Amino acid sequence: MKRLRILSCVLIILWLPSTLPSQSIVNTKHNLSVSGPGTVKATSETEICLFCHTPHNSRPVAPLWNRNDPGSNYTLYTSSTLQAVPGQPDGTSILCLSCHDGTVALGNVLSRTSNINMATGNFMPSGVSNLGTNLRNDHPVSFLYNAALAAADGQLRNPSTIPPPVTLKSGKVQCTSCHDPHKNINADFLWVTSQNSNLCNSCHQRTYWTTSSHNTSIKTWNGTAPNPWPYTPWTTVAQNACENCHNPHNSGGNKMLLQYQTEENNCLNCHNGNVATKNISAQFAKAYKHNISGYLDVHDANEAAQVTTMHVECVDCHNPHAAKNLAATAPSVNGFLTGVKGIDQNGVAVNPAVNSYEICYRCHAGSPGSPAAATPRVIVQNNVRMEFAPGNPSYHSVAAAGVNTNVPSLIAPWTTSSRMYCTDCHASDGTGSPAGPHGSIYPHILKRQYSTTDNTTESAAAYALCYGCHNRTSIIGDVSFKEHSKHIVGEKTPCNTCHDPHGINSTQGNSTNNTNLINFWTTIVSNSSGGIRRFDDQGLYKGRCYLTCHGTNHNPYSY
Amino acid sequence: MKKLRLLLFISIILVSSKFGYSQITGSSHDFSGQSWNTTTEICVVCHTPHNANTSVLNAPLWNHGLSNVASYTMYTSATMNSTAGQPDGSSKLCLSCHDGTVALENFGGVTTGTHLMTGGALMGTDLSNDHPISITYDAALAAADGGLFNPTTTQSGLGGTITNTMLIGGKMQCSSCHDVHNSAGINGLLLKSNSASALCLTCHNK
Repeated sequence: MKRLRILSCVLIILWLPSTLPSQSIVNTKHNLSVSGPGTVKATSETEICLFCHTPHNSRPVAPLWNRNDPGSNYTLYTSSTLQAVPGQPDGTSILCLSCHDGTVALGNVLSRTSNINMATGNFMPSGVSNLGTNLRNDHPVSFLYNAALAAADGQLRNPSTIPPPVTLKSGKVQCTSCHDPHKNINADFLWVTSQNSNLCNSCHQRTYWTTSSHNTSIKTWNGTAPNPWPYTPWTTVAQNACENCHNPHNSGGNKMLLQYQTEENNCLNCHNGNVATKNISAQFAKAYKHNISGYLDVHDANEAAQVTTMHVECVDCHNPHAAKNLAATAPSVNGFLTGVKGIDQNGVAVNPAVNSYEICYRCHAGSPGSPAAATPRVIVQNNVRMEFAPGNPSYHSVAAAGVNTNVPSLIAPWTTSSRMYCTDCHASDGTGSPAGPHGSIYPHILKRQYSTTDNTTESAAAYALCYGCHNRTSIIGDVSFKEHSKHIVGEKTPCNTCHDPHGINSTQGNSTNNTNLINFWTTIVSNSSGGIRRFDDQGLYKGRCYLTCHGTNHNPYSY
Repeated sequence: MKKLRLLLFISIILVSSKFGYSQITGSSHDFSGQSWNTTTEICVVCHTPHNANTSVLNAPLWNHGLSNVASYTMYTSATMNSTAGQPDGSSKLCLSCHDGTVALENFGGVTTGTHLMTGGALMGTDLSNDHPISITYDAALAAADGGLFNPTTTQSGLGGTITNTMLIGGKMQCSSCHDVHNSAGINGLLLKSNSASALCLTCHNK
């Protein structure tokens, strides 16, 4: 038996190739010969190269091509932001497709008179390697990538600076720009590892990307389904980088090669508490929300800053290439809102938005479908940009510090010169909830309860929203308006009856009748016996009202 | 012992097929039985012991008429680092039959033959669909290409480096892959077996 073993050893040594390269096509799935390591392979053919190449009588296509072109007509990738012009696949890409579009028998080579028999059937089995003739969901190929393209796109490297081994082929991006068909050193036959999207970054230079959390976060998945990274071997957000959201082949979304067609799924598969700490997904299960799941394929990356077709998606407010955890002071955008389009206070498109409210104005400043004012009032204004305009007689201090310098109810650190965010009122309810107006159990996505039912018994809870900044003791202690307690506690009148919380535009109201956010709710407040419904400001903590409310005629009542 | 004997038997067969003992007789280069070869000899189609054609440097006692083709169309590729010039050296000898311009029986001074090569072995004068030949293959080329082994240090499996056992004067020629005399006994007159594309992968680091 010992001799038998020695002889076996000798035999093995004799049959080993004299040089065994550490990485060679021999050890890859592109070895389609009978000795190949993959499942797609020949039943008896021993040669490897001939599946693609032949030393003689090749097709007149470099590199000594041994296969016929598929002759397919391909559906190409398109996108509204694509500057490149992909043509029908040519160059090396069409060579790849002579197996990978699934229309040409794998064993159909010129140097053999009949097809080489394959163990798994003649054609490329369906799966990720079979791209089909619909390349709509694949990264574009066969387009010229020159300095002009880089300049037009603005977020691509100048081609002269693309780091090898990623290369253009005769000036074009081809399959072989990313893939080395002969070696599988980096998995998927990639020239450069996809870890941290090194490969993608060879060409793509996204603005803001360097500091984005999606590029830097070392968060991992907690293992609760769904797997946010089903197609990669990487285990952190930073490692997955582009592939957190994008899939260069067989993307589910086509658009922007996003993993999923349902836009928000690209975000919520991580932002559900399984990877990201905050569970944004849970917010969207609440009754009042920015209804991201209500729209499909309406948002377009190239859409104008002022939204013209009603919709909302995560990326309408967030730029996933830019978002990062960085605090800011009102009204400036914080890290989560970095790099997003906006409409400034003058109605002019800005990119990026500098102030947080500019992002809200994308939709809430006159866009079709933006919600009408919830309360019927004397002065009607549905455009919040008009409501917050700094020249107004009164407004909450979103777009500028407030007009009124005497607000004794303000709880420190709030002062009359403080600026506030829209999200100080409109945000998810609940302690520890993620910031921002994702979803709330309260109407209008308000952070706390804001009762607008007439005859509500006053309590800290009923007007928790207002009392968050305006000291309840001060309000019902009548420190400013002497009749607050009488109205709110005694008459059980909600704050919303007299106050229009956003503001009153200067073209509709004035600094006599509309200071202190006074704009009456017409359902509750009707005309006085004199046919007047009006507030007159008469100086600090002084005024008079003409109206009828809860059956009481103010004709006028002064204080 | 029975198993041992069986294994020995298999090993002899395997080893003999690897280090096969073969010859030109009976190979596709044995033209002794061809109608156009009235000599019934084998070697004479290419070689003569006397009065050989010396116009090709180092030609081995050449006896076949040489082509007058001034310009072959050579293989090109955007990624090729070598420059394929016109065929030279021993490759010109091969082309004296395989370019299809000189009659097969034009040897030993005959110039009036009529049998031109046909079929799969006919390269023609358009070599753009054939592996480039007559290219200098040295360490510099290997370094520049990145997909070639260094011929001066890489063993060919034929008893030495690629340079020493496959190249002629540092150049890749027809005979770098082909053994015209069929000493290896491999289909296609190959220098070594191309099972698992071993011949291709001797030079190509793929």
